[in-house]
Order: sequence, then structure tokens, then C-alpha cells
Amino acid sequence: MAKMTLEELRNLRGSKKKEMTQRDGDKCAQIVIGMGTCGIAAGAKDAFDAFLDELNHNDVKDTRITQTGCMGLCFSEPTVEVAVPDMPRVIYGNVDAQVARRIVREHILGKSLVSDHIFDKPAQDIIK
Amino acid sequence: MHATLCDLITDLVQNAFEADATEIKLNVEETEKNLKVVIQDNGKGMSAETLEKAKDPFWSDGRKHRHRNVGLGLPFLFQTSEMTNGRVEIDSQEGLGTTVTFHFDPTHVDLPVFGNFTTAAITLMTYGFKGNLTIERSRNGMRYTLSRNELADALGDLNDLESLTLLKAFVESNEEELNHNDSDIL
Ligand SMILES: Nc1ncnc2c1ncn2[C@@H]1O[C@H](COP(=O)(O)OP(=O)(O)O)[C@@H](O)[C@H]1O
Ligand SMILES: [Mg+2]
Repeated sequence: MAKMTLEELRNLRGSKKKEMTQRDGDKCAQIVIGMGTCGIAAGAKDAFDAFLDELNHNDVKDTRITQTGCMGLCFSEPTVEVAVPDMPRVIYGNVDAQVARRIVREHILGKSLVSDHIFDKPAQDIIK
Repeated sequence: MHATLCDLITDLVQNAFEADATEIKLNVEETEKNLKVVIQDNGKGMSAETLEKAKDPFWSDGRKHRHRNVGLGLPFLFQTSEMTNGRVEIDSQEGLGTTVTFHFDPTHVDLPVFGNFTTAAITLMTYGFKGNLTIERSRNGMRYTLSRNELADALGDLNDLESLTLLKAFVESNEEELNHNDSDIL
């Protein structure tokens, strides 16, 4: 791949951006990755790479990935918060690359929680 | 200790984010004989006393978690430096900012692997920091620069999947050029 220029980057985004505005914005899934010292040491960047790869691989659009510092759950890092419209907001613990891929396939695409990695369990009755 | 040098660098740049800096420069210069990293910020800085405390793994300023007294970012840096005969300089002035500089010997057997710079750069650029972050990266004389303001101007929302994916391709193509040049030399 030849070195991409800022201008090329702008143009590529230009065409994609148009696609974006045609979709409705509230369908957006949100992924928040805990990137504090403990998260980084536990492999949060591997989770980040895996999310990016798996989302693209499955052609999931309308997703935002953001980061936060320490979530205070150091013993279960990497931790990731996932919010999909019309689903409970969930915090997952010990999210390695493989779990990140499962979150994309099962939670974001399949609309079912990855129960064995839920850290902050929502009310018991919504987990089957 | 962090598994890779890129993890260590990420952690130290985050200290600058947390210090309320508005302007941060990260410089990563690799040659066959030396790895030089400079992280310069215009954040809140540290008094000599705070800096001394910050070297202690069982101290943190309490802003993130009031009762937490563990802070491993700087101790990891000193630990890595001591283990590999590296050199660390921290120049900080309260209210003005901090410059962290370190030199490591890339051939030292105890030095952690360098790691993936592309991912480090993307996560730093999309951390949610509102000021400007400039990354200057060079390897054996080849160099490129990334500026958060320029990237945000070209891409808009940096955190949506399309932007992240384009950003990754962009940084990767720049990294490839550095490494390509490398194989020409060998
Ligand atoms: N760039 C910086 N600017 C101002 N203060 C800093 C900077 N880097 C570190 N510090 C101070 O040193 C303390 C220890 O840093 P660190 O070892 O990374 O642990 P932590 O960030 O978890 O507290 C921080 O809480 C902060 O008070
Ligand atoms: Mg820190």
C-alpha cells in the first residue's frame, strides 16, 4: 500500500460520510473500552483491534468505539461497556480478542448477551 | 511492567491527558542503537515533591479514584529503565507542563518488545482528548507526523467505525513506509 496522504483520507471519508447521513443516527451501537494502566496491561488494545476487525468483517456499520480511563474494575480488565439500542447497557470483564469478537457476533449482531463475561450484571430477570 | 513499549508510551501520554493539557507532543525516534521517546505536555505539571511521590507505585494523586493509592504509569517507566540501563528525565513545572524523556537500548535483552505502534497511535488519537496531540514518528531517518486536529478536520467524528477504519489504514500506510525503508538498508 502506498503512503496515504491527508487529502486522500479526506476524500475517502467524504464519500463514506454521505452514506452515513442517509441512515438514522439512533441505531448506533456504542463500545467503550477501559484503557487505563490496568486495561492496557491486561490487553485492552488487543480487544480494540479485534473489535475493529470483527465489526468490519461482519459489515456492521453505525458503531462508535470510545475509550475511558480506569473503570476501577482492575481485577477484571480489560473491561468494556456495550450499549446497543433497545438492549440493557452491559459491562463485560476479561475481554480478550476472542471475547471481543463474540461480543460483536452475539451481542451487537445477535442481540443476545455474552452472559459468561458480564461483569456488572443487570437485574437477574433479564439474563436468561 | 507493560508487555510492550507502545503500551508504556500510551500510558504516559494518558498521564498528559489526565493533567488537563491542551497541547501534547509525542516524539518516538528509533534507530538501530537508540530508542528515544519524548512526551511533552502543557498540563498542570508537578512540583518537585509531587514528582518524588509519583515515582512511588503506591501513590496516585487521587483524582481518578479518591481512595486509590496505586499509580503504576511512572513506576513502570522507571522499572523498565533500570532493568535495561536506560535513561529517564522528567522535567516538570507546576502550572506549566511536563516533559518526560527516555532513552532505551533497543538491543538490550530485557527490553520489552516494541509492540504495535499503529494501534497505539489510533487509540491515543481517539481517546476523547479535546486538545491537539501531535505524534512525530521516525525510524532510521524516515519520518511522518500525525496531528489530531488535522485528522479530525479530515474525518469528522474520529470515533465512528468508518473513521477508525480509515485512520487505521492511514497510520498503517505510514508505518509500512518506515519499515519498507528498513528492509532496503538491510
Ligand atoms: N504528565 C503529567 N502531568 C502532571 N502530573 C503527572 C503527569 N504524569 C504523572 N503525573 C502525576 O503523577 C501521578 C502518578 O502517575 P502514574 O504513575 O502514571 O499513576 P496514575 O496515573 O495511575 O496516578 C499522577 O497521579 C499525577 O499526579
Ligand atoms: Mg498514569
